[in-house]
Amino acid sequence: MTNYKPAPWERNARLVFGLFLFTPVVFFIIFYIWPVIETIRLSFQSWDGLSPRRVDVGLRNYQVLLASPRFYHSLLNNVRWLVFYVLMPTGVGLGLALLVNSLSRGQGFFKLIYFLPYTLPPVAVAAIWRWLYEPSAGLLTRTLNEVGLGFLARNWIGEADTVTYSLMAAGLWWSVGFSFIVFFAGLRNLPLECLEAARIDGASAWQTFTKVTFPLLWPSTAIALGMSAVDAMRLFDIVWAMTGGGPAYASDVLATQMYDTAFGRLKMGEASAVSVAMLVISAVVIMPFIIYMARQVERAENDH
Amino acid sequence: MIFRTALLATSILGLVEPALAQQASPIWHYWGSGAELASIESVIKLNNTNHPDTPVVGEVMPGNTVELRRQLQTALLGGNPPAAYQSAMGYEIKTFVDAGQLRSVQDVWDEVKGDEIFPDGLRRVMKIGGVPYAIPLNMALVSNIFYNKKIFSENGWSAPKTFDELKALCDKVKTTGVACLANAGGPFWSLYNFYAPLLSVVGPDGYFALASGKMPFDGPEFRKALKLYGDVYAANYISNWGGKTWAQGADDVVAGRAAMYQMGDWVSGYFKDVKWTPEKDYDFFPAPGVGDAVVIQVDALATPNGNETSAAAAKNFLRTAASTEGQAGFNRHKGSVAANLQTPDDIYDYIGKKTSVELRAAANKNAVMPNLFFLLPTELGTELGVQLERFAADPSDTTLESVVSTLETLRGEALAQNAFVAW
Repeated sequence: MTNYKPAPWERNARLVFGLFLFTPVVFFIIFYIWPVIETIRLSFQSWDGLSPRRVDVGLRNYQVLLASPRFYHSLLNNVRWLVFYVLMPTGVGLGLALLVNSLSRGQGFFKLIYFLPYTLPPVAVAAIWRWLYEPSAGLLTRTLNEVGLGFLARNWIGEADTVTYSLMAAGLWWSVGFSFIVFFAGLRNLPLECLEAARIDGASAWQTFTKVTFPLLWPSTAIALGMSAVDAMRLFDIVWAMTGGGPAYASDVLATQMYDTAFGRLKMGEASAVSVAMLVISAVVIMPFIIYMARQVERAENDH
Repeated sequence: MIFRTALLATSILGLVEPALAQQASPIWHYWGSGAELASIESVIKLNNTNHPDTPVVGEVMPGNTVELRRQLQTALLGGNPPAAYQSAMGYEIKTFVDAGQLRSVQDVWDEVKGDEIFPDGLRRVMKIGGVPYAIPLNMALVSNIFYNKKIFSENGWSAPKTFDELKALCDKVKTTGVACLANAGGPFWSLYNFYAPLLSVVGPDGYFALASGKMPFDGPEFRKALKLYGDVYAANYISNWGGKTWAQGADDVVAGRAAMYQMGDWVSGYFKDVKWTPEKDYDFFPAPGVGDAVVIQVDALATPNGNETSAAAAKNFLRTAASTEGQAGFNRHKGSVAANLQTPDDIYDYIGKKTSVELRAAANKNAVMPNLFFLLPTELGTELGVQLERFAADPSDTTLESVVSTLETLRGEALAQNAFVAW
């Protein structure tokens, strides 16, 4: 029998952990932390993104931003998207998951159908919906005309009053698949004994849903809500590809304003100020969710 | 043994191929498909035949001017820009020159006699401080109104020559249940339509005065031009135009939902794609009010600093692009008019020939007007487009006041920063 001599790294678990962590930490610092710091620094400077020289301007970029009606309009649109994304894809996703879960046949087919849009790139989603929304001969307007509901037809993405809601419908079609699949997975993992107990106790379908199923689905709900909130705050692709933030800024969100300011107008400093504002606002909105999720994970680990 | 030899040969080929590809200097552009891609590829092919020692290869950067600019910013920061890239004119070039990122093309310009072969208005927007920094490939006119010939002939209408005639014609068109003018949403199309009323009020000199910050946006001339635009154009646009792309606007003309469409002459390419025949199904007339002038949109090629290994390739590519052969190849595919006026007319179809005649006449009178969007400081040009779209959707006095006030504030800021250029 030979004497086993552990290698130095085996004797020092911390060293092993450190070695494994080194690369991701370095990548995280270079590709995440450093750009954030650089963006904050740039928000106090004036730069066109091309010149080798940047000029320090103190708080001017923030003063310009806070005096700009466009910023508040974009922020309001982000809040609208936040409310919409938290309620609609989550609610519709839950409803679809309950429906599909109740089917005895064809679950695979409906899972595919409902999840498919989520696999499309947002730019493709925008192209499809731009075609659907064409106000004279688009599918939506034509269908409404054909069924005698032409009075409901609108200039879907061409009017300030309707554009954001039209974009939201496209966003819902695209994103509902994610909530659906999260809830569906949650439903499949519900403890059957609880549902059985409810049935034996004579609970109605509604009582079973509100008192048993939905409370037990809370982990899935938390994930769907959190991801929807993140999607709402970082929203860019669908808006930019469908309207560019127009008409006349009507559908602008903070990310499209930031992109237009940076690359359309070459004002990197002001665009960075928008980015920093986005970071702070997103943190305020999303941090409670992250803290909650971290506590849940900690509790689950302690339970084990 | 045979397998090993084949493997070795494949490996060697695999090494050689990228090495050869590396020799070809990249040309960045966003002519990503169809006739547009064929147009630039024809210039690249000609270049590689004429200059086999300095080959170039086209690389598509999907998107538009803004997207390409974003890619360039990154490449310039990383010290690895392309040999040459598709550029707009005027202020777009100035921004790169001010940042020290563009190479002068004076030697190629002198060699190809740029001051003789390109029209005056075009020369002005290729030069910064009197030095040329880009070679123009084409000119697309945005001051012509295309019309559905069937609708016109069925009703016995003829092309209007004044704004009063256009307005009267629109009244007649509307009685037939057809919209008078097509339009599309976004910051460009309403703005391009506005140039005709603007030119009719301020003339070519006033146009350049506005571009160089000397004419106020809240003065009587600009207000008058806006009102004229509101009365003649905005009041006669097809309903729901704000939700359409420019191609969907063209569909309105093809489908007979609108009679006319003031759009860049690339719309002729779209009409042909949907099997319309020039002269038979559609034609154009100059927008009333422009007089002898034409307003042009330009595609050019610029060469960035920082890639010295491809400097010779870039220079040869510019020579090819400026030549009549290069310009003929490019514009034959693209359907625009060659920037080099010595390019023979036989490359054009009916629309191209007519446009070329119109352009040469304007060039002889020094009335080739570059797109105002690219003459103004970048932010002001962009905001002008946004505000014109806003005014086109709601041409009321309240909106007019808000538009002129917004633009005048930005003009003041640009003046304070000394940002205007005396083109």
